[in-house]
Amino acid sequence: MNATYIQNSIAQLKTEIFMDVRHRTLQKYTGVPVLDENQLFYLLVPFLNGEEWQQEQREAAITVGIVYAALAAHDHIKELDATSKEQQLTVLAGDFYSGRYYEILAMSGNVALIRNLSQGIVSRCEHQIKVYEAEKRTVEQWFSSISTIESGLIAQFFDLYAFDAYVPIIEKSLLILRLEREWLSYQRGQISLMSKALEQSAKQAGATYNSVMQDKIVRLKTELLQFLDQASFLQNDVKQALQARVEASIASTNG
Amino acid sequence: MEKMKLKLLYSDLKSDIDIIEQELETAVNSSSHLINDASLHLLQAGGKRIRPIFVLLGAKFGDYNIEKMKDVAVPLELIHMASLVHDDVIDDSDMRRGRPTVKSQWNNRVAMYTGDFIFARALEYITKLEDPLVHQILARTMVEICNGEVIQIEDKFRLDQGLKDYFRRIKRKTALLISSSCELGAVAAGVDTKTVGHLKRFGYFVGMSFQIIDDVLDIMATDKELGKPAGSDLLQGNITLPILLLKDDPQMQPYLAKVFAGTLTEPERQKMLQYVRKSDAIAQANKMSDKYLKKALQEIDALPKHPVKKKLRDIALFMGKRKF
Repeated sequence: MNATYIQNSIAQLKTEIFMDVRHRTLQKYTGVPVLDENQLFYLLVPFLNGEEWQQEQREAAITVGIVYAALAAHDHIKELDATSKEQQLTVLAGDFYSGRYYEILAMSGNVALIRNLSQGIVSRCEHQIKVYEAEKRTVEQWFSSISTIESGLIAQFFDLYAFDAYVPIIEKSLLILRLEREWLSYQRGQISLMSKALEQSAKQAGATYNSVMQDKIVRLKTELLQFLDQASFLQNDVKQALQARVEASIASTNG
Repeated sequence: MEKMKLKLLYSDLKSDIDIIEQELETAVNSSSHLINDASLHLLQAGGKRIRPIFVLLGAKFGDYNIEKMKDVAVPLELIHMASLVHDDVIDDSDMRRGRPTVKSQWNNRVAMYTGDFIFARALEYITKLEDPLVHQILARTMVEICNGEVIQIEDKFRLDQGLKDYFRRIKRKTALLISSSCELGAVAAGVDTKTVGHLKRFGYFVGMSFQIIDDVLDIMATDKELGKPAGSDLLQGNITLPILLLKDDPQMQPYLAKVFAGTLTEPERQKMLQYVRKSDAIAQANKMSDKYLKKALQEIDALPKHPVKKKLRDIALFMGKRKF
């Protein structure tokens, strides 16, 4: 397995997701669904590692991707003025994608995954909305929320198909990637609500945003590399692909 | 007053409806206090709960068990609630049922997460039922509702549309979910296919009649009764049946031009409402609603003999003649 094979697998998954949620009007005004290639990569890790991956698992992975696209569409809604046609249709695009993931799984009778993904969405929404709540939270609580937001749905899918050994890998990896994105935006002066919340919690703990972010990212990367080193269930080439992603990300953090 | 009448109509289902009300509160319970506040805010605003009622009435033709039926009735009301929360973002509505909307009380993003949370809870709930047919019916309905909403946005401020466009829109906007409520209650209770078909069509016809009346009331009712300005549909660009019937009327056209240009003043809104209220369009729209109501009653006639038929008839007639 090489980088091209991985890239092709991601591209194929992406194409299948696009095909399943194709909608002329929505595409015209809102574009194609937003999909994070990293999330798609980690979604495919059990497949890349040679786990049983029949039509059911493939379809399941597609629906997880659709759910991410649905929620990502709603993340694009502006807080105060969503009156443009593009924004109105973005609300509906998210609802349409949600309907489609449900329809696909209903047609194949995969009620268990509908249940798991619903629980995942419930949990994700509960963590997403925390930035609007007045409650004081610790930095670690925010990290835990981000982890749920980024990887909770994939974890639900992995749990159902007994791929739970992969959960720590995706949790750590996706958290690292999100924290790096947040940190980079912060340094550019584009401070998200999540970064504002982290900044405030860091301050309450007598630390700075930069220090808590750097410490967490370095710690997560060390833990991840150690985990990968000891993960005997991973094929060597998959391990290398996972390590390569982390190392690339280490370079970006240090750089 | 009208709500009281409706409650009286299904007074013998009261204990079951109370169970559903309690279950709705449980269903929206969240570890996030903001979601709790927003969801309870929605629940407390009330609503007619017609979808759960139709689930229960549909199920009466089969093996009725409230413990099972609540797992169908609750999600249908939740899906309706969630779609209202998102609709308020789309329509930029500040008031619903006389109360501030989630998006106006908090913001659009909170409304999106609350709506997504409620949608997901609805699906989590209905997965207590393993029958794939239940999920296929509901999933197709959800997708079609969305398609209807997309069409509604495309049709906004467009006068080059006909009655067919309007009926196609309200079918997806309202009639489908009511039809599916009747159908799902019956399917979950193991009702035979022929009876399920009659109940499904009954729900569809009642839903069509209901939406036409809703559109008439948007013009006929007062701001206070509606909890929002009368004529809001048109002000948001939605061409409802009474307006569609008047679109070529020379006296109506200057008002429409101002609505579309966003320059209609408050006194002009009052005058326009007065004009539409006195026009023949209202009577014509009511007549069309009655046609659907009649078809709904014919479906009831075709149902097997059962005491619940009278209840369905009474509720259908009430919905077709309601004043709120």
